[in-house]
Amino acid sequence: MSLTAALPHDLETLADSLSASADELHQRIMRGIRQQQRLEGGNGQGGAMPLTHGAAQALFENEVALRQQANSLYVDAASHSLEGMGVTVPELLRLAAEARDTIRRIDRVKELAGLSADLLAVAAAIVAARPEHLAAPLESLKKQLAARHARESA
Amino acid sequence: MKRYLCILLCLLLAACASNPRLQEVRALADDAPKLATFNDLSQRFRDTFQREQPYLSAAAIQREQAIDRKRHEAYPDFIALQAAATTYLRALGAMAGGTTFNYGEQVKQMSASIKAWPDTGLTDRHVNAYAGLVRLLLRAATAREQDKAVQAMLREGYEPMQGTLDAMHTLLRYFNKNHDNEQRIVLGMLDVEIPYADAPRERLLAALARSHQQEKLREYRLLGLRHTLAAQHIDALRERHAALYRGLDPLPAVEAAPPAIPSAIAKGAQP
Repeated sequence: MSLTAALPHDLETLADSLSASADELHQRIMRGIRQQQRLEGGNGQGGAMPLTHGAAQALFENEVALRQQANSLYVDAASHSLEGMGVTVPELLRLAAEARDTIRRIDRVKELAGLSADLLAVAAAIVAARPEHLAAPLESLKKQLAARHARESA
Repeated sequence: MKRYLCILLCLLLAACASNPRLQEVRALADDAPKLATFNDLSQRFRDTFQREQPYLSAAAIQREQAIDRKRHEAYPDFIALQAAATTYLRALGAMAGGTTFNYGEQVKQMSASIKAWPDTGLTDRHVNAYAGLVRLLLRAATAREQDKAVQAMLREGYEPMQGTLDAMHTLLRYFNKNHDNEQRIVLGMLDVEIPYADAPRERLLAALARSHQQEKLREYRLLGLRHTLAAQHIDALRERHAALYRGLDPLPAVEAAPPAIPSAIAKGAQP
């Protein structure tokens, strides 16, 4: 189904998916914070990447933004719907699910920040109903996910 | 003769013994105030930004302002739904209630005017007995009329009312999801910041933050519960309203085909 005919139900599904991505990001941030504290406490063991205060705040900012985009879609679902986006809802959902899965496994802060920022840009374009802003972050997101696939299978 | 009168009276009493449909309609209408929770939650949805603001960064505040505008714009439509549902239920209740079809006043006036004729030879006792009988007859006749009017209103109001309740139910789901994200923004901010407030000179800050966190947790848990309860109330109301609709007398043969029930609304309806 194309976003041109997006029903409130589709908007809700997209928003649910963004909320779930934000949940996943939050889990990662909290794991990073706990790891950082273990390091500072002098008993650092491998595992999740540690996060400095600044890095945690920056990632949390992305989490908040994802939730805001989701909430924006919930209001849209409640009042009106989107117009001509030229991308299909299932494709967006598939990409968002893949990004969510990757967020769970990613272990470099830089990659995590990049991926969540791309997801956010995609979400922002959807929420603002600006198809012209959708192509670039969507490409970048696809590239990042593909690069990780390549690294993981290598 | 006396026996016939007795039978007649029994029939009359049976006819005007309170109709169960009217009773149920009144009970349904009495539940209309429960829909007020929907208004409270709509208001809470509208005011999301106000509560989130202290926890947001400058950039997030800017983004939220746009969403805040949308919530404020949509709010009157939400309230209109609740107002429509409540008005319908009140009207239905009034129609099924005792006052709309009460001819008691007219009977009283009639017996008073009979009493005003001093030369008829009628005693008060006669007049009262006569007035009582007339009242009974009227009530039997009007009860049928009242029931017919209530049935007509139920028939016509069925689809709009079910649609309105469905919409309110869906909106509550959005409100609840919005509430979940608000909760995770507020509690998440505390989650992320509290671990960094553990230096000895920040003990007071850490204590206040943790106490605030507990308070917020309680608030959000209660609100989550209120969303669930409000949705349950609407569900129950919708089901009772549908049951009344299913119990309507079949329409006379001329317009035999009952109005088709759209499948989305017919949930739970019997064939």
